[in-house]
Amino acid sequence: MAGPTGTRVLALPPTTVLERSVATLEDIAATIKPDAVWLFGYAREPTAAARARHIMDVPVIHPPLETADGGTLPRHRIGDELEFVVAQHSRALGAVAGADSGASANVGANSGADTAAGVGNSAADGDSDRDGNGNDDGSKTEPPSADALICDQITTTTRPTALETTLDHAGELAAALPAGQETTVLTGGLPAGYDERWHLDAGTGAVRTVAHDPLRSAEPVADDAVAVRVRGAGPVDGYGGAESVVALEYSADGAVSTAAYAPGDFGLEAITGVGQKTANRLESQGVTTRAGLLDLSVAALADIEGIGAKSARRMHDHARVLESGEPRRLTDEPLPGEAWGRPPLCLDIETDGLSPTIIWQIGVYDPESDTHRAFVERDDPTDRESVVREFCDWLLGVHLNRALLTWNGWGFDYRHLGAFVARHCPEYTDDWESVPKFDLYRWATDREGTGNALLPGRTNELDVVAAELGYEGLGTGLDGARTAAAYQRFMRTGESDVLEWDRHEAYCEDDCRALWHVYERLRDAPRASGVVGSAGSARATESTGSSPNGGGSRADSKGGSTSEQTGLGDF
Amino acid sequence: MATNEGGDVGDEDGQGDQGNQDDQQAIPITGEELRETFPRAGARDSGDISVLELPGREAATVPNSNVLRPELAEQLEHDLYAHQAEALEALECGKNICVATSTASGKTRIYALQIARHYLDARERAAETGAGKGRQNGGEKTGAVSGPTPTAYICYPTKALSRDQERELNDFYDDLGLDITVRVYDGDTERGETRRQIREEADIIITNFAGVNTYLHDHDRWARFFSACDLVVIDESHTYTGVHGMHVAWIIRRLKRVLASYDADPQFILTSATIGNPGAHSSTLIDDQVTVIDEDGSPTGPRELVLWNPPPQSSEKDGDRAGAEDAVTDRVPATVEAPRLLSHLTYHDAQTLLFTPSRKLAELSVKRAAKHRRDRSRYYTNPDRGSAIEPYHAGHSRRNRHGTEHQLKTGVLDGVASTNALELGINVGEMDATVQLGYPGQRQSFWQQIGRAGRGSKRALSVLVAGHRTLDQYVVNNSEYLLENDVEDAVVDTENDAVFAQHLLCAAAELALDESDAGAGGLADRERLEQAVEMWRRAGKLTGHLETGVSYTGPPRPQRSISLYATTGEEYTVELADGVDERHDPEMEPLAEERVLRDFHEGAVRLHEGQQYEVCAVDHTTPRPSVTLRPTDVAYHTRTRTDVTVLDAVSEESREIGTFTLHFGRGRVLVYHDAYDEVAIHGGKKQAQQLPTGNPPLSMETQLCWLEVPERVESTLVERYRDFSVPELDSDLADTAHLGYAGGLHAAEHATIGVAPLELMVDKRDLGGLATLSIDSHLASATADENGDDETSVGEDPAPQNIAAAEATVRELAMGLERKPASGWFIYDGIDGGLGFSRAIYENFEAVARRARDLIENCDCGRIDGCPACVMDDQCGNDNQPLHRGAAVDVLDHLLASASGDGSVLGSDLPIDDGEDGDRDGNEGGNGAGDEDEHETGEVDDRRPPLFYA
Repeated sequence: MAGPTGTRVLALPPTTVLERSVATLEDIAATIKPDAVWLFGYAREPTAAARARHIMDVPVIHPPLETADGGTLPRHRIGDELEFVVAQHSRALGAVAGADSGASANVGANSGADTAAGVGNSAADGDSDRDGNGNDDGSKTEPPSADALICDQITTTTRPTALETTLDHAGELAAALPAGQETTVLTGGLPAGYDERWHLDAGTGAVRTVAHDPLRSAEPVADDAVAVRVRGAGPVDGYGGAESVVALEYSADGAVSTAAYAPGDFGLEAITGVGQKTANRLESQGVTTRAGLLDLSVAALADIEGIGAKSARRMHDHARVLESGEPRRLTDEPLPGEAWGRPPLCLDIETDGLSPTIIWQIGVYDPESDTHRAFVERDDPTDRESVVREFCDWLLGVHLNRALLTWNGWGFDYRHLGAFVARHCPEYTDDWESVPKFDLYRWATDREGTGNALLPGRTNELDVVAAELGYEGLGTGLDGARTAAAYQRFMRTGESDVLEWDRHEAYCEDDCRALWHVYERLRDAPRASGVVGSAGSARATESTGSSPNGGGSRADSKGGSTSEQTGLGDF
Repeated sequence: MATNEGGDVGDEDGQGDQGNQDDQQAIPITGEELRETFPRAGARDSGDISVLELPGREAATVPNSNVLRPELAEQLEHDLYAHQAEALEALECGKNICVATSTASGKTRIYALQIARHYLDARERAAETGAGKGRQNGGEKTGAVSGPTPTAYICYPTKALSRDQERELNDFYDDLGLDITVRVYDGDTERGETRRQIREEADIIITNFAGVNTYLHDHDRWARFFSACDLVVIDESHTYTGVHGMHVAWIIRRLKRVLASYDADPQFILTSATIGNPGAHSSTLIDDQVTVIDEDGSPTGPRELVLWNPPPQSSEKDGDRAGAEDAVTDRVPATVEAPRLLSHLTYHDAQTLLFTPSRKLAELSVKRAAKHRRDRSRYYTNPDRGSAIEPYHAGHSRRNRHGTEHQLKTGVLDGVASTNALELGINVGEMDATVQLGYPGQRQSFWQQIGRAGRGSKRALSVLVAGHRTLDQYVVNNSEYLLENDVEDAVVDTENDAVFAQHLLCAAAELALDESDAGAGGLADRERLEQAVEMWRRAGKLTGHLETGVSYTGPPRPQRSISLYATTGEEYTVELADGVDERHDPEMEPLAEERVLRDFHEGAVRLHEGQQYEVCAVDHTTPRPSVTLRPTDVAYHTRTRTDVTVLDAVSEESREIGTFTLHFGRGRVLVYHDAYDEVAIHGGKKQAQQLPTGNPPLSMETQLCWLEVPERVESTLVERYRDFSVPELDSDLADTAHLGYAGGLHAAEHATIGVAPLELMVDKRDLGGLATLSIDSHLASATADENGDDETSVGEDPAPQNIAAAEATVRELAMGLERKPASGWFIYDGIDGGLGFSRAIYENFEAVARRARDLIENCDCGRIDGCPACVMDDQCGNDNQPLHRGAAVDVLDHLLASASGDGSVLGSDLPIDDGEDGDRDGNEGGNGAGDEDEHETGEVDDRRPPLFYA
């Protein structure tokens, strides 16, 4: 994986460890490089714990098996920086609370800037910066406070008939955790990406408020309140089922980010067309890794029951792409816009959420002149028109005859731009519609067609693919969800200094340039000598077990809505 | 007002067919002849049969030129009916309308013409402003139309109806020479290019609400269609009641929201069968004012209505009496009798449509019709005559259904046994006769179904075969009820928060929620909206604030998790077992959780398209729960037992009915389908009993109403019926003095639920009840006493996993009660979050109680414990024991006398002892401890068992 090394914790359900092959688990370990493994769940799974410890060769935290000495909860130190306190069960919290007062659980006080949110893959959001520093005095108690409490019983219960969501075991948490400060609780009982601050009454555990903006500095915690920042590390529902391989990364500055994958993103199953059944069949033939699969001839592969000649060829191709990191073109189709004469303009938009009320940034990178242009609404977040209009003036007035290129634009950028143009600049509607628009993602992976290329990378998110193809990003620490959340804050407060504008523009530009990088790499890859017409390839993106833009799609503000943009979206 | 004599003049769109009818054409067999010729084994006694003659009605018409511009007026062959003209005028004034007239009164014609008007308007506008201004929208139209062609969105309740109407509308516009493209767009429409083309080019798109729910997600693909949309039609709108109605009401709100974002503000046309409250119902559905058009101007032919109460079972020599518990089932079941009538009518050349209440019965009826021929071969000497009979229901494939429709229309088929899938306006031509297997539950539906016979001014024959149920017996014994002008109110409720909350997620995924979604014209009032948004934020599914926009962040496409027939949203896919030939794939639609728990447990045997299937596995794991079937061939089907309890009821409102107290509130209902029986297909004998289903209980937070019987009435009736006993009753109650009184409560509970559909358009299956001697142990106050210190633990207690555990819980609560509990019964909405039904019963309780009382009192079964016609209920979890009609009538009499302030019943009934009683009479509400003590001494040693009766 790309990015700076921090301390990584891999969160998994025991079933994944028990059901996946050794080779797949090794691939997970090799990809994520965890410093510890956390097997969440309620039931004791000693076999799973032993298996994980043996295969991944790192400390394993499995709360049901943790043993406490005396009245304290077990602790785990990971590397030099990180320490977790583990509650085997919510009852264990009660034991601690009873044994001593307040801080005895010693999980109080966020140590430093545990600020990052969402499921991105890198550092903290500088916009909010340093929360919780005011609570550092919590660490003065001996022994020092841990970074987080792990307790898988902490989850929420939603009762729609009462229009209420409650925090399970709030009473035990309130009794066990120190009052007047914030404690982070990690739980496999909530999906990765869940990040909410619950303020509880220290006495009763009754919910006072829940703060929803994870980027924002922690609000001061009243003396008679307990603040619990609840973060999920459990399975995320996506199209391919639950994505339940979650990497938590603690960066050097204390920020945490999470990324979710499906088990099918690893090992043999990472290969197009290989599901659990086929993987088992392959394993029974002695093929346990992608390299092993490449050792087998296509013909030999096709001899295995359930694998046709075409899919054998495709498997081979994709395994090679994954192993080599080199993209492969499957057809002789030109790249989208390649025949256009001038290179396309690489486009990316930023919004305030998945159902945008504003497109507040439009970034366009022109590969021809190697220049980037950003249209940004910095002053008036209620002005939905200006950015779109400026962009249209520029594009339609000055850059006529240029085509546009996006990553998954038919899932997000083009659709929303089209709607905003129609609404706010109706006079440009026809012109906008006639601008040639290309979507590199769709071209490569089109579900309805055969797909024109195989991409390296465990997911099809642009940043993952680009990194895999050697693009060195700026590491802005942003992703779509964060940049959207930051703008929402601006919309609410109206204070433009809550955003580091340059950083958000750099993030958008980075995506545009990454897109061009991927385009160039694909353009330079040799074309297929013959046209491949296998229908099997239509499954390319499905078989990764995750949505088209990948297992970590929640990280991207475009993720949710784009994840189905092709065939299936066409209801 | 003669709106109910359904059925006449052409089909919905085909008023042009008027010409080719033979006036007063004789039907092949009359009601009297039917009675005469129907073969019976024993005596000529054919049960209780009455034949009613319903007169026809003259048409009221208005010249077309009064309402329509010449281009349209001149092309129509016939004048408009008065109601059509009135509707078109109201539309001209920009109103939303609801047309509530009889079957075949030409309702489709109204919106077809309105669309034609809009089209012509647009053409004129285009001509005035000069062609070419405005961009070409909606593909290349031949003709002079440029600029956005107005579009219309038409929603039918079934896919079959959609296809049918697509043809009819296209033909209509062809005849008028208008270039209006009508296309169906639903789950059967080919994906990809076909769909894109329809979205981008069709003028009229026909779909259903399951489709709308899904398509709203990608509304930008519909930008052309939505921007130009000036009419939304909701056909057969009366079908949107109960749970389904709630979902549809929310889908319409979501649709309006999306349309508004495209600056479209369409008119709404709703067409409805005759219901009691078309205006209120329509307004709730579309959240806007609606003008009602219900003066029916269409003509109708005369009709014979035969009310057929089957004869006593004992007169049948093959009467296969199925065990002691079914001994009360005196009459031949309608499920047996109706198929025989179908067989008989088709034998006599009357093309006949049999309506059955379930898919299973549609299938079975075809078999039984054939069996009838064989069993009576001496009468039916030519067994193949009129024997082409097929089943029809929504479980069949489209191709299959369409084939059946076509064969009916062309006369290839002699008869069809159908669910209510054919009740709606699918054009299957004109039947000679209808048979109804049981009363369909509502007058609205009753008229709609019989309207299928005798279209045109032909005479028609309609036979209602009464079943054992309360309603059926009431109806055949009170035929005036059918002929009253009143029709049931349709109940649709948008207060169910569970349903609201699901649709809120969808709405947020479609367009960010903001402040405009709060308050009038929005989705909900500010408080409810904020509360729901906060709930979902805390659950991690929404993000942002109403001030700046709330987005959806949960798993993709929340629309998929909406199940239009359930509130829980979980639907089970139906799969074929491994290794079974694909040919046997039942191709069943997904099943709602409630249905799976009841009917699709492991071991269940279900009939589908004539093939028996056994359920071999049920996977309850989300997100993809499933049921696995394999074909089988056994001589039984399965019937699931149902047990129910209520926990944690909280009263939100209450009112005194004399000395009785009636409550409305919310609580938790647990439904257990723990066991099932195997019932022989022939004869209905239970061949295996109490097999475990292995299914978990269904837990619902729902709305309830409950009645508390005052202490004095209770003690009087306990005393009066203390000698009542039920042989071999396995219950705590068995040998107590309370048994008779408890039987009275139980019977009154069954009867009030049974007659509720006479007053309200509720489905009895959506209601449940529980009679109890200890209302209090089902209340939240009882639980709070138990765990008073547990306020912080807000999580829900796990439901007791079986009925025995649930009973133990209630018994334990009863032990802990501080005061002597009140007796009475609960009625609840059988749907998570509630439906508004028990609320409606709460408000109309006296009327319901009066109907229930009359039903019990007037039933001629002559049995203390009643019969299926009065107080027995086949869904009863306690095998209909104990039941006591007399005690039930007494309870209801006290209530009604109490309600009218009439003390005479009370006065004469209650024990006249000392003056203290008199004091208490004047001292209402003072049911202090003194009462209890005295009561206890009066009742001596009878411990009140806390057990309950479903």
